[in-house]
This record gives sequence, structure tokens and C-alpha cells, in this order.
Amino acid sequence: MAELSVIGQRVPRVDAWEKVTGQAKYAADYSLPDMLWCKLLRSPYPHARILNIDTSKAKKLPGVRGIVTGKDFGGWSWGWMPATRDETPLAVDKVRYMAEAVAGVAAVDEDTAEQAAGLIKVEYEELPGVFDPEEAMKDGAPKVHDYVKNNISVEYHWNFGDVDKAFAESHIVREDRFRTARATHGYLEPPAILAYYDPTGYITVWASKQSPYFHYRHLAACFKVPLSRVRVIQPFIGGGFGGTKNDSLAGDFCAVLLSKMTGRPVKYIESMEEELATSRRRHSVIVYSKMGVTKDGLLKAIQHRVVADGGGYTAIGPLSMYLNGFMTTLPYKLPHFKFDAYRVFTNNPIGAAMRGHGVTHTRFAAEIQMEMLAEELGIDPVEMRMRNAIDNPKPGEIYETINKVTLKTCGLKQAIKEAVEDPLWRDRDKLPKKEGAISWGTGISGSSYSGGARQMGHQACAAIIRLCEDGTVNLITGATDCGQGSDTVLCMIAAEELGIKLDDVAIKRVDTAYTPVDPGSYGSRVTILAGQATQKAAREVKKQLLETAAANWQVKPEDIEIRLGEVFVKSDPEKKMPFIRLARIACYSGTGAVIMGTGYSSYGIEHLDLTNGIGNGGCSYSFTAHTARVGVDMETGQITTTDFTIASDCGRLLSPVQAEGQIEGGAIQGLGQALYEDFIMDRGKTLNPTFLDYKMPHALDVPNIKLIDIVTDDPFGPFGAKETSEGSIVSAPPAVVSAIHDATGIWFKELPVTPEKVVKALKEKK
Amino acid sequence: MTTFYRRLPKFNYLAPDTLDEALSLLSRYKGKAMVIAGGTDIIPRLKRREIGAPEHVIDLKGIPGLDNIKYDVSGLSLGTLVTIGAVETSAIIGEKFSVLAQAAQSMASPQVRNRGTIAGNICNAVPSADSAPPLLTLGAKLKLVSQKGERTVGIEDFFTGPGQTALADDEILQEIQIPHPPPNSQGIYLKLTPRRAMDLAIVGVAAVVIPQDGVCQDIRIALGAVAPTPIRVRKAEAVLKGQKFDDALIEKAAKTAAGQSRPIDDHRASADYRRDMVEVLVKRAIKQAIRR
Ligand SMILES: Cc1cc2nc3c(=O)[nH]c(=O)nc-3n(C[C@H](O)[C@H](O)[C@H](O)COP(=O)(O)OP(=O)(O)OC[C@H]3O[C@@H](n4cnc5c(N)ncnc54)[C@H](O)[C@@H]3O)c2cc1C
Repeated sequence: MAELSVIGQRVPRVDAWEKVTGQAKYAADYSLPDMLWCKLLRSPYPHARILNIDTSKAKKLPGVRGIVTGKDFGGWSWGWMPATRDETPLAVDKVRYMAEAVAGVAAVDEDTAEQAAGLIKVEYEELPGVFDPEEAMKDGAPKVHDYVKNNISVEYHWNFGDVDKAFAESHIVREDRFRTARATHGYLEPPAILAYYDPTGYITVWASKQSPYFHYRHLAACFKVPLSRVRVIQPFIGGGFGGTKNDSLAGDFCAVLLSKMTGRPVKYIESMEEELATSRRRHSVIVYSKMGVTKDGLLKAIQHRVVADGGGYTAIGPLSMYLNGFMTTLPYKLPHFKFDAYRVFTNNPIGAAMRGHGVTHTRFAAEIQMEMLAEELGIDPVEMRMRNAIDNPKPGEIYETINKVTLKTCGLKQAIKEAVEDPLWRDRDKLPKKEGAISWGTGISGSSYSGGARQMGHQACAAIIRLCEDGTVNLITGATDCGQGSDTVLCMIAAEELGIKLDDVAIKRVDTAYTPVDPGSYGSRVTILAGQATQKAAREVKKQLLETAAANWQVKPEDIEIRLGEVFVKSDPEKKMPFIRLARIACYSGTGAVIMGTGYSSYGIEHLDLTNGIGNGGCSYSFTAHTARVGVDMETGQITTTDFTIASDCGRLLSPVQAEGQIEGGAIQGLGQALYEDFIMDRGKTLNPTFLDYKMPHALDVPNIKLIDIVTDDPFGPFGAKETSEGSIVSAPPAVVSAIHDATGIWFKELPVTPEKVVKALKEKK
Repeated sequence: MTTFYRRLPKFNYLAPDTLDEALSLLSRYKGKAMVIAGGTDIIPRLKRREIGAPEHVIDLKGIPGLDNIKYDVSGLSLGTLVTIGAVETSAIIGEKFSVLAQAAQSMASPQVRNRGTIAGNICNAVPSADSAPPLLTLGAKLKLVSQKGERTVGIEDFFTGPGQTALADDEILQEIQIPHPPPNSQGIYLKLTPRRAMDLAIVGVAAVVIPQDGVCQDIRIALGAVAPTPIRVRKAEAVLKGQKFDDALIEKAAKTAAGQSRPIDDHRASADYRRDMVEVLVKRAIKQAIRR
């Protein structure tokens, strides 16, 4: 690889200053003159028919300017696929989960709006609810939606190879039931929107969306206006992690409709409790895993039957279930694989996407089960993994899984090797095993995650670079930085390609009126796809500049180099000028040329086959080996995680500071899901919709984290980059659970592993 | 509207300058007024609509002289505005009433500790209030005042139910009085929480022990979060009182304490787990206290 000047440097984020000084504006910070406030009325029942809504009392409250109910949206509904458009902006005939929105109010201030919402009288007929997905699948269970049978919202049945034969030939076959928690994103910024439907028929919103263009389509469709009249302006976003901020919410639609009705801007901010009670959270998934191995511990077959709690609507469920299956053939060689997936409607809040989407469930199950088999066979867990790990393909070669997932690079073996050479694993037997009531254990896991996720139907990803006459550039893209730091990486790519300083690149935030269409932030796609688009746009600008310089010096364009703001002739470095001068010449020359470059991503544009699970869901795949040390209090069940060592193959780290932050952040979020996080539900009611009781790890609960970079330059990524951050959220839970097993001798199959579960299991073991 | 965190309800805010003025307001608006100290309990509860909005809120924070920590011949006294943070960092409390300082340190976050008061913690009277078990083991007395006069109530008689106290409508807790503990007494507060900080107690255990040559001269054990109110467990104390400390006896006292607890199942933990943990924590607290 050529020498790099900007890529790989440890630089601060481009938005760091604004954020740490409090200058960055988030959706809730925007206001307009004459603005009204919107509040929602939400259902007190998880499943009920709406018989009547009486808004008369609320309307009479001084200060109330408008009230909307489900019927006001004229029957419009939306969903991730045409066949799953089962959600309406507000509930119309029926509420399907507790706290589903049924009405919206706009008033002159928040207090009045809230008071008015409380004055709306809704007559409900309570219906029997169903809260467990396995119960919901049974004949005769209460029906959440009438358009499907047995409440099954999505199902897939894939069959690769011949699992029955493989199981028959296996030395041991295990069958276990695993379950993952009802976890949520836990970002600091709850959803918010400021909407203005101006009387000439243009909709403008400032909304906290990590997929602003989904929202743009939803608004155009719901309000029946052309896309060219919908403008979603992206403020800074306080964390996304998938799900809620990829989608449109009741508050969004209500704010826009209320603005249309009143002719005034309307602002809606969700409270954190509303957010926690209604967020589109990670599915809780039951995984029935059957795994067969040879005497030597080689994987013969995996059969997964997964049942996911879908909650009241489908949302992004078809993709979630696909992701539950398609990556099970990674990161170990697997000759036979069968997958039966059911996403089931219940009267719980909606199951949707979250960092590590889909894979966190099945990888957890498979990883733990593989180690259980290793234990039965008496094979060392590291050896078990090394025997099964996929090898790194030679340059130019491709490894293809049985479901036709293709890898150009795979650093798993190297990652495992380096992780176990680290003292945490290497010296684990030298460290104490028991100290008082504390029993210590060390565990390991491997994982993989796809980068550059693709989307049904819509995959556009583009960048525009515009040269300014002072030698700086504007980078314009539809890709959204929701906090992950992609703006910085894209600026670094532009600077590297153009040979200018990072400070000379300014990136614009998304504004659907000006930026190119893009599906947004999810599936670790932005760095790879928008990165490539940016690279191409920069090259187009550079080509024009080189031509200008070549004409100026009477040499060929390929004889010229631009590096860190200096332009010179390679063979004659005496011939040089600052970039700014070249920019002037180019911008002012002759016809008044406008120097602009455009580029779009060409990665991963094959058809995405959700139904059959064949082919790639992403462009490239990261690999992670993760070790963990925990101390388990054998009397109270409390678990302390002291250390993580994470060796990740993320391709090449473009911005090491950010990549490290992502890997650590993913691992900590994974730790939360291993030990702490779960919504406690009672017949559809969330008992812990606060951060006091929805337990995310705090700084004091976080282990020391050591990172090891495994650099594989993937040919399908800008500068060899793959994904970072989703690998470590997948690898953390099995590493922690494996360490708990080492400490206690118990395999925990249900997350999170709470102190109470530990004490119960220890009692049962006695 | 399901009960989400909402805007603060409307009320009349009163900020008296003297205790007398506060008492007179309280007696004038009897039943319709509420006292506020740090507000770290009351404000979230009002926003969550857990309690009905009072017509008047009387803020004590502007009254000078109520935040004194006094240590003299009669013992320790904490004015009603003494914050959790002040108790946590007071040298004399750390030295002589360590069990209380330990509890203060285990509570909330620095921000909340700097604002919330010990008196507020006691008056809010949730079963998990962390300052309650130490105050029970220290034999604290509470000075309650109203326009009609004052009375002193032992802390054990103060808690009457979850969120319920012996305070009358027109009374204010003016002072928490704690007698000198015997010179060789040792106290430990242990709090079981899912995380290392910022959690409410699943179980709280305070134990104050007076050991003398391996014999338990006296012992007091109090529990939080495992009964409708914070409680002292005298039967468990009796197991050890006057006896030579040994593991089996400590174990027995711990079991007895667990038997005296009356926990409930809720979203934070099951009753069974709580009961089991009383046993573990009482045993640990006693052992740590003897070892000190
Ligand atoms: C994030 C967070 C974490 C927390 N963590 C903990 C924890 O770990 N442990 C714990 O025990 N608590 C915890 N709390 C609860 C709270 O902080 C404490 O109970 C605190 O001590 C309350 O004191 P305050 O001064 O804020 O009380 P306030 O909210 O002002 O008052 C509480 C109650 O006491 C009454 N009151 C106050 N002063 C008087 C008086 N002088 N006379 C009569 N009545 C009075 C009020 O009317 C009210 O009913 C936490 C709270 C928050 C917000």
C-alpha cells in the first residue's frame, strides 16, 4: 500500500470541538417562531380495541391548537417491505402493545399539551393478550394481526447440505435452548423532531434519524407529496444503534400533521421513559441449537430453530430474521446448515434492529454450544476454535461458505493466536482461582460480522466533492453520522485522496434537499460504502486538478503528485506550488470551471436473497477473538468483569482512535447484554422503563480492555477497511459466559446472567 | 396517559427564611402542603405522578442553621439540611459513626449526594433507604417540631410502613440525634446492588458489634429493602449477644435474620433471593465488624 498521510493517523473527530463545548445542536435544540408543542396520548393496555375517542374536552382547553387521532391519517400504513405494511402512525382500530400512541395534541406549551392529552377520553375494549412468542404461535392464541396465521410475522426455512445425514455421522450431537435478553440501545438522546409543513406544501423537519431518507420516503408517502417537497435536515444525533432512529415514529407523523393543520411549526420530544417503554429494541430470541461434531471436534452441522419476540408490528423484522441465520456459517467452517426462523407477533413493544443485529443471538448460542462440545470431547477451547476456524484466503482467492457468503480476507486464526498469547489468557492458570467467596474464570469467544450491509431494493450511496477557490473542499453525502464518527473517516478519506490536510475538508450534514439519497447508518455500511463513494469523488476532483497542473507545467498529469497541501512534479520537485494556488488556477481558469467530483459505491450491489438466505448480506466480514476474565461471588452471584482482550480483524483501521472507541464501546454494550440489561415485563407492561432499573454498565463496571489489531487489507473496502464495532458486541456475551463457566462450572444459556440466576444455578448444582 | 415521567405539576412554591415561618406555613396549609429539602426524591415522584400534587411546596433550603453537623458530649446531631455528601466526607462521622458514612458513600452519585439530605432519605421512608439501617443500629432519635411544640421519636418508631412515617401533617424533622456509640464498637454497612454504583439496594445490612475478647458484648443488626420498613432484627442479635463469636453461631444469627426478613418479589429481585442475601450479608457484616 502506498504511503498514507492522513489515513491511520490518530486525529480528533471533526465534530469533537462542537460536541465537547456543547455547541452541537440536536433535534430538541431547534426551535422556530410560533412553534407549538406536541404530546402523545398512549395506550394503558397492551391489547385492546379502540371503541371511541372523545377529544371534545381536550379541544376546549385554552392553548390547545390541534388534536389528531389514527383516523386522521386516512388509512395510510407503512412497513419495511410492501407485504409488511402493518403499522399506522397512530393506532386506529386496535392497540397492539402497551403505550402505543393513540392521539397527538399540539398546544402552545408543553404543559398544556400534556394536560390536553390527559383530557382525551378513549374507550377501550380490552382483549386477551399474548406475551410469549412460543405461546403466540400456538393454535387458538389471541391474534395480534389478522393478516397472518398463528401470529407468525416472518418465517424462513433454509437448508444447506444434509443436516440429518451429518448428525447421523457425528460423534456427538448436542441440543440446547438459548435465550437472549430484551435489550435496548440506551442512547442519551431520545427521539425528537421539529416539523414545519408550510402552507405551500413543503415539509421540512429537523429529526433525530440515522436513516433520514427512510423518513423522507415515509413522509412523502404518508402526506402524499412529491419527494422533492420533503426536506429532512439532519441535526447532530446523540447515538443511534439501529431500530428506533432508523424508523419513523408516531411523534414524527403527528408533529407533521399537526403542523399541516395549524400552519405552525410543531416540536415533539419523547421523554426517556416513553422511549424506554416503546423503543424498537433488539428482539429477544429463543434459539434451539443442535450441533454435531466429529471425534476431533470438527463441526459437521448446525441446525437452528429460532423464535423471536416480534412485538406488535413487523418493522425491520424480515431483515432481523435473515441476519439471525445468514452469518451462522461464519466464522467456522460449516458443511451443513439448516435454519428455521419464526418472528412472532406478541403484545410486547416492537422487536427491531440493534448493533450486532440478528447475529448476537445465534452466535451466542453456537459459540457456547461449541464450547460445551469441546468440554465433552476434552478438547481445549482454543484448539477447538483453531481446528474449525476459516483460513485467511490467499490474495486473489475467495472462501465461500455453504450458503455462498464470500470472504476475501479472514483474520480469525491470527486473532485467536494473538489473543491467547496475551497474558490474560496465557497466564490464566498462574492467577488465583479462588479468593474468599470469589471464584475467578477466563473465557474466550470468536465472532464475525458483516460490513457494508446491503438493503432490499435500495442501495444508493454517493458523495460529491466541491473544490473551493481557497483550496478547501466541501464533502457532501447522504450518509449519516449518528455518532459513530463516519463524518471524520469520510473527511480523512477525502483528504488522503486529494493530498490535502484534514482541516481543509468540511463535511455537510444530511439535508435531503441537497445531499444524494442514501439508506443511512446501519449494518456497518457507511465507512465502506460512503468511503468508496468519497474516494471516487475525490479522485474525480484530483484528476481535474492534475490536468490543470500538467498544463501549467507542460508535463503529463501522472508526473504530478499532491501531498499534504503541496503540489509538485515527481521528477523535478523544484517545480511545486501550494494546493491553494492550484485550486485558484483551476477555479479561475478560462471558462470559470466548477471543479466538482461525484462518486458512488459499487460494492455489494448483488441481489439480496432474504427468502433463501443465499449470498452475501454485506461486502466484507470482520473477525474477532475475545478473551475475558470474571470474578463470580459464589454467595451473592455478583459478577465482576476485570479484563477483556479483543483481537479484531477490521481490515485496516482508517481512524484508529475511533475504531478503538467503537470496538471498546461494542464490547461494553455486549457486556451489558451478557450481565445486566433486560426489560422486565409483566403481561406487556415494562416494569423498568428508567435507567435506574434498566441496568447498563457504568464506568465502574467496565473492565480493562486491551485491543490487538489484526490488519488484513480487504480488497472490498476503502484502503482495505472492513467493519468495526459490531464484531465486539457479538463476541462479548459468549466470552463472558465462557468465563463464568470457567469460574462456576455452569453453562448459562439465558442472558443476562444476573446474580440471582447465578445463585439459583449454584443451588441447583449442589 | 400511562404514567410516564411528565412535566412538574403546578404548585405554589414557598421559601420561608426561618423554621418558625416554615412551621407556621405548614400548620396553615395543613394537609395541602409538602416539605422539600434536596428534592431528589420528591421531584421525580411528582413528575412520575406517584404522588398527588400538593397545593404548596415549602422549601427548607433557604433556612440558615439547619445544615449543622454537631458533635459534643451528648453525641452527634445532624441538622435537617445535612446532605448525604456532608455525612460521607465528615471526619468525625467517618471516625466515630463509620457505619453511617459507609451508607452515605454507597448512595446515588456525587451530584445526588451533594443535593439530597439524610433527613429526606429518612422522611421519604422507602424500605431501601440506605441511611436507615445504620441509624437503626446507632439508636438514632428524631426531633420533630411543629408550631405546637416538639417531641422526640426513636427511629424504630418513626417508620410505620412503606413511605409512611410518624410525622404529623404539620411536623418537620428538625434534627437527627445519635448517641455516642460505646468506644470499642465497630460498624459495617453492606449494600447489595447489581452494579457497583448508582443502584438502589436489593438488600442493605448494617451491623454494629461490640466485641470484647472474642465475646459479643452487644450487637445490633438492621436490614433495608427486605420488609415494609427498614427493620432491626432482635432475634438475630440475641443469638450472639453475650456469646463467644464462632462461625456456626454467626451463621445461625445470619439465618435468623433472614427468617425475620419479609421481602417481596419485584422487578429488582425475588423475595427468595433477597432472603438468601440477608443471610450472606449479615454473616459478612458481622465478620467484617469483628475483624476491624
Ligand atoms: C439518581 C438517584 C439515585 C438515588 N440513589 C439512592 C441510593 O442509592 N440510596 C438511597 O437511599 N436513596 C437514593 N436516592 C433517593 C434520594 O436521593 C434520597 O432518598 C435522598 O436522601 C432524599 O433526600 P432529599 O433531601 O433530596 O429529599 P426530598 O426529595 O427533598 O424529600 C423527600 C421526602 O422527605 C420529606 N422531607 C424532607 N425533609 C423533611 C423534613 N425536614 N421534615 C419532614 N419531611 C421532610 C419530603 O416532604 C419528601 O416527602 C436516589 C435518588 C436519585 C434521583
